[in-house]
Amino acid sequence: MLRTIIAGLKARTARLVLSSVAIALGVAFVTGTLVLGDAMTASLRDEFAKGARNVDVSVTVSGESSSPDEIPGITPETLAKIRQAPGVAAADPRDFQTVPLVAANGKAKSAWAVPLASNEKLNEFDLVDGRYPTKDDEIAVDKRTASTSKLTIGQPVVLLGEGDQRHTYTLVGTYQQGTNQVSLSGYDHVGLTAAAFQALEPERPPYQVVATAAAGFTQQQVVDNVRKAIGDSGFKIQSGEELTRETLERVEQQSGEFTTVLLAFAIIALVVAAMVIYNTFTILVAQRTRELALMRCVGASRAQVFRGVLAEALVMGLAASVIGLFGGIGVSALLQRVIFSFGEGGGTVLLPVTATTVAASFAVGTLVTVLAAVLPARKATRVAPVAALRSQPDSGEEVSRTSVVRVLTAVLFGVIGVGGIVFGMGIEDEDAAMFVSGAGTMALLAAVLVLGPLLVGPVNRVLGALPRAVLGVPAKLASANAGRNPKRTAATTAALMIGVTIVSLVTVVANSAKETANAEIDQRMPADYTVTSAVYGRPLPKELAEQLADVPEVDRVAPTTVVYGEREYFTGVPRDAIGTLFRPTVTSGSLDDLGDGTVAVNAQYAKRQGVAVGQVVTVKPGQGQAQELKVVAIVEGQRLSDGIMTMETSSRFPQAAEGYESILVKLKDGVANGRAAVEKVTDPSPLAVVDSAAETKEQLNQQLNQVLGFIWALIGLAVVIALFGIANTLTLSVLERTRESALLRALGLTKGQLRLMLVVESVLMALMGAAIGLLLGIGFGWVITEALSNDTISVDLVVPFGQIGVMLAGAVVAAILAAALPARRAARTSVVAGMAEA
Amino acid sequence: MSALVSDVGTRTAVAAANLVKVYGKGDTAVRALDGVSVEFAAGRFTAIMGPSGSGKSTLMHCLAGLDNVDGGSVNIGGTEITSLGDKELTRLRRDRVGFVFQAFNLLPTLTAEANILLGLELAGRKPDREWFDTIVDVLGLRDRLKHKPTELSGGQQQRVACARALVARPDVVFADEPTGNLDSRSGAEVLDFLRMSVRKLGQTVIMVTHDPVAASYADRVVLMADGHLAGEIDNPTADSVLSALKHLGA
Ligand SMILES: Nc1ncnc2c1ncn2[C@@H]1O[C@H](COP(=O)(O)OP(=O)(O)O)[C@@H](O)[C@H]1O
Ligand SMILES: [Mg+2]
Repeated sequence: MLRTIIAGLKARTARLVLSSVAIALGVAFVTGTLVLGDAMTASLRDEFAKGARNVDVSVTVSGESSSPDEIPGITPETLAKIRQAPGVAAADPRDFQTVPLVAANGKAKSAWAVPLASNEKLNEFDLVDGRYPTKDDEIAVDKRTASTSKLTIGQPVVLLGEGDQRHTYTLVGTYQQGTNQVSLSGYDHVGLTAAAFQALEPERPPYQVVATAAAGFTQQQVVDNVRKAIGDSGFKIQSGEELTRETLERVEQQSGEFTTVLLAFAIIALVVAAMVIYNTFTILVAQRTRELALMRCVGASRAQVFRGVLAEALVMGLAASVIGLFGGIGVSALLQRVIFSFGEGGGTVLLPVTATTVAASFAVGTLVTVLAAVLPARKATRVAPVAALRSQPDSGEEVSRTSVVRVLTAVLFGVIGVGGIVFGMGIEDEDAAMFVSGAGTMALLAAVLVLGPLLVGPVNRVLGALPRAVLGVPAKLASANAGRNPKRTAATTAALMIGVTIVSLVTVVANSAKETANAEIDQRMPADYTVTSAVYGRPLPKELAEQLADVPEVDRVAPTTVVYGEREYFTGVPRDAIGTLFRPTVTSGSLDDLGDGTVAVNAQYAKRQGVAVGQVVTVKPGQGQAQELKVVAIVEGQRLSDGIMTMETSSRFPQAAEGYESILVKLKDGVANGRAAVEKVTDPSPLAVVDSAAETKEQLNQQLNQVLGFIWALIGLAVVIALFGIANTLTLSVLERTRESALLRALGLTKGQLRLMLVVESVLMALMGAAIGLLLGIGFGWVITEALSNDTISVDLVVPFGQIGVMLAGAVVAAILAAALPARRAARTSVVAGMAEA
Repeated sequence: MSALVSDVGTRTAVAAANLVKVYGKGDTAVRALDGVSVEFAAGRFTAIMGPSGSGKSTLMHCLAGLDNVDGGSVNIGGTEITSLGDKELTRLRRDRVGFVFQAFNLLPTLTAEANILLGLELAGRKPDREWFDTIVDVLGLRDRLKHKPTELSGGQQQRVACARALVARPDVVFADEPTGNLDSRSGAEVLDFLRMSVRKLGQTVIMVTHDPVAASYADRVVLMADGHLAGEIDNPTADSVLSALKHLGA
């Protein structure tokens, strides 16, 4: 038997190579995705753990401070006590504040400032260039800040302290931050000595102190000593180990979302890979039905034949899985490089291979292969050997026999899917709605996959109509070939269908979200330009509005203020701007009544708080007295805030009295270079940033496109494998149909027509997958946008026909490429040799 | 039809001169055709006979332009084909030659009717409906036209193949063991039809067979042995062919 197996392996090299490549690619995809996920989590862990590096004791304020007026924090006295506790080698405060940093162009940006540790071991950063500051007029900045704000070592760096007071420091070094919420947020980041940090905002105590132990003390001893020194009340005292554990737990939560996304990709990978492998192997064994039957005829027992197929599949599955595993590690390394190239930070490629990864890879590569080989082999050995011998080499199977089970299964999935979608759309919470509806769409996808073989016929007839009409006989033959074995065609196109469904779904949702956001920007920025403060919590000086109004190119300006209550925030606008720069739609009441002490609230807010025109809302600001405001109108279509009030009303609140939140600028008609005119006024002010709706949209779109690009890249991999599956099926079909090709050639089909036939067949298969995938993807996209829409936001469906056109064109081109090799092979075989083929 | 029949035996449909075909190289080289010169008259039914491995199929492939030759020349209806390229050969086959093979004559994806018309469609020619109906009725395929090949018996499949070969009115029909896979009754039906197409419709048929009974349907038998011509028999009977074969074997 062994000899027969080896002889079999040798005799079918071409087919074996093809199926091995299918297995290896599938395994590589699964491994690649899993390794990438683990690498991301591992690097996040490493990076986050930097915060707990060298820390033996951590003291944080535990929230309940003794007196309500006091800002909770660690007083200098407590710090001194910690430092003096026995076994404490060094202790340093951890803190941060946002401070405007003036970049080389004179503009301020929000930066996180942190006090650097007196003991370098306790810093959360890695020094890149220069050194850490030792004097109070020295500063270090992180690498990214240095490059974006164009700062070089030795240069002066300006921070704006309280009252926009300029503090100037000399840059002495750059460092690399660990990964944490701050570094991920993309904020600029600067480090000062503890004293210099305190000087920026003197009354501010730090929230945490970390300490290292002196030699000879255990973490627990030092924790106990510190506890003794400062007492237990109001503080949380942790050992370094506890801090590390707590940090990592937070990482798990943080990276959880990302891991879920990657897991979803891995599952897609698994399904697509399994499909391609299963399909390839099914064809392979089906083609050997006659050979197996012959072996039965010459005396091999059913069990022997069966074992032979099993052993062969096992050997091949294992070998290809190993290749795929290593290939996948390579894919992961490549993907990490791609990801790093998005950010400026860079990073190290990590390749953790866990037991789960190996198990999943081998399960896909070997189990699926064996299953795919054994199921058809069982069928082949069940029929009488002579019947199998007589059968056509074409491995066609009827679909009708199983169609009852098929339809029932599909109906079941369909009902679950539609149920999930309908139920999900009704949920108010958008995350839950998206999850439930999303699951529903996936069930629908499964229903379509199950129905696949029954869909091939009609879809093929529709798609084949045009080529049949334009390209004549070869296309007619191709269309007949694509539809001859519906199960095989369905299985071949299913992988592509899944890929295209997901890609178009994501693309449609992302574009819809983009358009919605763009519409919102138009709402927010009714004027040509909007001047805002670059630094959170630092309003614009009031003179700026007057200066802008005096610019000859400017038609009118409208400053806005903001009032934060406990559950709401309102915008203050000048009375005369209502109806000009602010044009909300009034649903009840009237804006004419909007005067001192009144407010016009948004419909969503009114619904949420259950208020109507004529009633009173109480706004309690963070500082100052609560104010009662009478609701005079309910409005829609302004997304600035929960409602608007006049500037005078807003000035009752101290925070709004300080300055302006934004200044809207409308230019005179026909002004060409408005931005320059506006900037002449805003340039001297470090806080003022000029935005236009168009530019803001541009920025937002860039970010979305980047995310979209990443998803396209990941799913693109699945699509590549799916297309390889098409090439594989086609190649095997060509081998299977050698006699048929020879017959056609004998009857007068030219080599070119034969090639054309195979190309059209390939394109038809690709289009089947792509077309159904697109329909599903767009439909599902609509479902998701509907699920995301609720009373507050309405996401409108936007179908990006351009991108979808690119996708379709890509599928066609790839299908042509996929057909290239099999077509060449088919055309090269001589007629006589082809006819002689068994 | 009389015009067609008038030049029976006078015009040459296919001629081969000094044909040489060698398979393999060096020691293992096989001279499958070793200087074969033969002519086939138009409007005649000729059988090529010989033991297995004598070169019958090879000769047919070379005559039909399915395979290239290593020496000599082949002429079909006045066209020298050994110098033609693949494109011209394909066009020649599609326009002037019909084929019936031993098995796998039909495309499984097409109905019987589509299979019959496939050659014409490839040539971009309109089928002559009257002619099509005649052939279909003579072959008794009328009620099988909408069936796929898998739904037809072996004999029916071969009859569809015959119909396809004839519907384009080719200069010559080549048949390689057309009854090799059939039981004797179905075989007789196919052979009857081939003979009828020659006698009544003026078709030229060249058939390869190793079955003396099949050969006896022909007007003339050409005998082959070891890549050489080994004689011929006019108006053969099964007995005369059998005894001639016995001579060859001896
Ligand atoms: N493709 C081939 N390669 C090598 N030898 C071949 C090939 N085809 C035929 N032959 C050899 O050529 C000779 C004639 O073959 P063939 O024409 O098929 O004989 P027949 O049809 O009379 O049985 C035989 O010896 C056969 O082995
Ligand atoms: Mg032969």
